[in-house]
Amino acid sequence: MDAPLLQKAEGPSEATQALNQRMRDNLVAIGKNRDEQAFSDFYNHFAGRVKSFLIGKGLTEAVADELSQEIMLIVWRRAESYNPDKAAASTWLFTIARNRRIDYLRSNARIEVDLDDEMLEVDEDDHMTHEAQVDLTQQSVRLEQALLKLPQEQRQVMHLSFFRGKSHGAIAQWLDLPIGTVKSRIRLAMQSIRTEIMTAESE
Amino acid sequence: MMHHLTDETLQDYASGVLNSSMETLIACHLTVCPVCRRNAILAEAIGGLSFNDNPAAEMKATASDILAMDKTVPEAHPSSLQHVSQPAISQPGVPRPLARLLPTTLDDLPWKSFGPGLKQYNLGSQPRKEGAFKLLSLDPGSKMSKHKHKHRELTYIISGSYSDDIGHFKAGDIADLSAEHHHSPHVDSDVPCISLIATDAPVQFDSLFGKIVQPFVGI
Repeated sequence: MDAPLLQKAEGPSEATQALNQRMRDNLVAIGKNRDEQAFSDFYNHFAGRVKSFLIGKGLTEAVADELSQEIMLIVWRRAESYNPDKAAASTWLFTIARNRRIDYLRSNARIEVDLDDEMLEVDEDDHMTHEAQVDLTQQSVRLEQALLKLPQEQRQVMHLSFFRGKSHGAIAQWLDLPIGTVKSRIRLAMQSIRTEIMTAESE
Repeated sequence: MMHHLTDETLQDYASGVLNSSMETLIACHLTVCPVCRRNAILAEAIGGLSFNDNPAAEMKATASDILAMDKTVPEAHPSSLQHVSQPAISQPGVPRPLARLLPTTLDDLPWKSFGPGLKQYNLGSQPRKEGAFKLLSLDPGSKMSKHKHKHRELTYIISGSYSDDIGHFKAGDIADLSAEHHHSPHVDSDVPCISLIATDAPVQFDSLFGKIVQPFVGI
């Protein structure tokens, strides 16, 4: 019930960093060369995890299995659209899984920002030179580090809310806490993560 | 100072657990707010990391099965591609996620009056107990009855401005209110304040008058 967001107590190992890198390379290889070996490696690492994510969000085992297969088919077919400079492989996969679940549950698609919108307020950071941009695998390592540094009680609400898909109200009930406490833990957690990432970047 | 989304709302948005009304409203603010956009991306990255945090469930299919499916299963047309074909009427102050839902310009909408200087245009078709999704246009100087919300109320300001117990809100801002907040917004701009609101439960008016008119207003 109260598994930490990341289970190891020590910092993210080099193994984690290598894994992030390998999954990223896999996606690039699928996109560029229709590399079946790379797909197989990606699938063997992620498919079952996507499935447990969907079960955690309340879908039945059978539906979760079917959707996970569809999500992996989307990965195979759309890997070309993956931009390794913009997102970690796990982030890209997360958005596909999330959107596929929404498509399954309701008749209208997820609504997002239109990047061609004339009203789009461009981020100063988008104009950064490539050198100035933080290497993405480096960034996910920092993010993992930041998550690991969170106090147990904050990691717990983050875990329940992201991984178990519970609403803040449900988390409050589950942990027998006032909802305000749950929300403030989330805010504190997000603040420490942002501070941690910014500090790491300016070092 | 710009008003932003709270972390818990961004987290719910990134996780995909909000209804499409809330998503539309949030996407409007994200269009004009790079700060919240960056925080939403951060929340997605955390979501991605959470995959690694769990034991993998056993899959009925193998990677080769998926590659075989590629040859037999036609390319799905997810509903996520549907709205691309819908033209959005471009008009100042209206981000595309909202513009796609409007049949005409703000001026030409068939607004319905619900009091002196107050009008609304309904965008949602859900039953009232599931909350509201609508545009409100409030004339300068007008004031809403003091009320609070059972769960969450999001307001995106399209034009004009208003103030309440929490602060001053102007075009592009989002007011992200939860059950703790009681407020009575009053319009302090010299043009009407047009805003998009989404709630996930009916608002609770403090006054008897508010309670009496509520079923007719539908918020």
